[in-house]
Amino acid sequence: MSNVLLDKTPLTKGSFNIVPDDKHSQLDINISVCYQQFDLEIKLPIPLNGIAGIFGHSASGKSTLLRAIAGLEKKLVGEITLTDTNIADKVLVNTTKGIYLKPEERQIGLVFQNSRLFGHLSVLGNLEYAVKRCKNRRLDLNEVIELTELTALLEHQISELSGGQQQRVALARAILAEPKLLLLDEPLSALDQHSKTQLLKMILNIQKKLNLPMLYVSHSLDELQQVCDTLLVLAQGKVVNFGNIHQVIHQLNNFGESTLIHQQTSLSLAIKQFNNGHGLTVLALNAQQEIYLISDKSFENQTQLRCFILASDISIALTEPNNSSIVNHLFGTIKQISNKQNKVLLTISCGSQEFFVTISAFSQQKLSLASRQQVYLQFKASAVRTFIH
Amino acid sequence: MINSDLQALITTLEMAALTTIILLMIGTPLAWYLAKMTSRFKVIIEAVVALPLVLPPTVLGFYLLIAFSPEHLPGQLWQQATGQQLAFSFSAIVIGSVLYSLPFVVQPLQKAFEQLGDSLLEAGSLLGAGPIDRFFSIVLPLTKASFITAASLGFAHTVGEFGIILMIGGNIPGETRVLSIALFDHVEAFDYARAHLLSISLLIGSMILLAAIYWLNLPKKKRRQRLSVNTKQKQTNSYE
Repeated sequence: MSNVLLDKTPLTKGSFNIVPDDKHSQLDINISVCYQQFDLEIKLPIPLNGIAGIFGHSASGKSTLLRAIAGLEKKLVGEITLTDTNIADKVLVNTTKGIYLKPEERQIGLVFQNSRLFGHLSVLGNLEYAVKRCKNRRLDLNEVIELTELTALLEHQISELSGGQQQRVALARAILAEPKLLLLDEPLSALDQHSKTQLLKMILNIQKKLNLPMLYVSHSLDELQQVCDTLLVLAQGKVVNFGNIHQVIHQLNNFGESTLIHQQTSLSLAIKQFNNGHGLTVLALNAQQEIYLISDKSFENQTQLRCFILASDISIALTEPNNSSIVNHLFGTIKQISNKQNKVLLTISCGSQEFFVTISAFSQQKLSLASRQQVYLQFKASAVRTFIH
Repeated sequence: MINSDLQALITTLEMAALTTIILLMIGTPLAWYLAKMTSRFKVIIEAVVALPLVLPPTVLGFYLLIAFSPEHLPGQLWQQATGQQLAFSFSAIVIGSVLYSLPFVVQPLQKAFEQLGDSLLEAGSLLGAGPIDRFFSIVLPLTKASFITAASLGFAHTVGEFGIILMIGGNIPGETRVLSIALFDHVEAFDYARAHLLSISLLIGSMILLAAIYWLNLPKKKRRQRLSVNTKQKQTNSYE
């Protein structure tokens, strides 16, 4: 990585568990934007590999960050550089050198929350708008139309489309401009649950098929947990954490006084059996232990499943609860106990996987739980959640 | 219609057409600039543009007459550049009309550009469209109705102009003698028959023009509906 442009101060590398590699292109960001409510200050390299999530509450600066990368934020100070091992570094912004690439010169796509389609053009017209302006065309229009399931809608006017259909057109249009990086700004937030699931799957599929790196901004952790490989957490304009999605979520469980998220265990497990004959899907936790959850048609033909279990949905028993309707019992060792007023957060290792459990201080005292103690975790199959539920 | 009146009509149409073209060329960037402007001076520019709406045309005409005279700089510059006197010329009445009809073109366009906002332009830029491309591919098609309104109002208002032309153009046949002035001449000469003829043709012409604007501004679907209703009515009428 050539850091000539980033003057004397090197980018933060060691503080987060993501180490940039030489295989993928990367976005070096070192910017600040002053606002009345908060100052956005971001300094880190984001490897452009798969889907990176950007999570934060409203006014955390996540949309501003996307706008800065896209070239729509004019008030920023600092630099953003797109580095690629195959081609020369592309400086998007460098305010000290007076460089500011216009959005149309950046080859970065953006899918907005409100699709922003051109009402005077048909669906096909909107797609062709992007195709006509794309240099070095490689993608086939029909392939993208199929990927986004728009074949039946091509002649429709934009006003005739539902919210979900509009977002699909916006997604297809953004892809057809053939960007080097696709930004997604809360693309699902205006949709119903069914359309959300459909679009999310489409985004995943497109990412894999086209190998297009994406930055996905959302205030919904469930959404991000489902699709992202890495997660960047912002709070009040500052980077709180950045790294592997599961690790970051687990670190957020212990995030100080104000919890940013519902404490949970985030998992990505292999599907062992799609349906065990009773409508339950079996996931392999490790060689000995399994997790059951309620089957959904969408799990079929998948080998891996992303799911999460809220810490408040798991309970602790000292002996194996064999006479219980609760299907999931896991055996583990208490690794850490942290008290917060009358609530206790337990970190329990089951093999190499950590689970997070919240119980009352009352229960902890009753069971006299201590570090390194061996316990049983129990949770219902319905407590294992995926984005689809 | 008598020859001199026909000539006045031609002069009028030439003046109005040229004025409208110039107005669209000047008014579009001005309206765009005003729509995007956030500075304090915006209100001042807006007030200057709107001035012809409230000012008596004769006031504007009086100052223009002074400015256009060979004794003053604008008139002198014009004479040096073209070798002709500016006051009492066709060019003078076109310049006067442009100033006088400016708000009729700038205001609807400014409103349309403000309503359009930045969101679609941002989307366009991210798809690789530069500023000029964005104007022709997004702004123009989406604000077409306002352009039609602006152009028609500018045209119609120029046709109906009187005071300012009398001040700076006088009454030179084939050069500055326009319909409204010809009409005034007929009335002064008690030639009510010719005055009637001119008046009624102006009235009907304006009616047709305005109706055409409103029809053009209807959404496409409604336009088609109206047409089909009319043809149906004609059919039923023919059966009777």
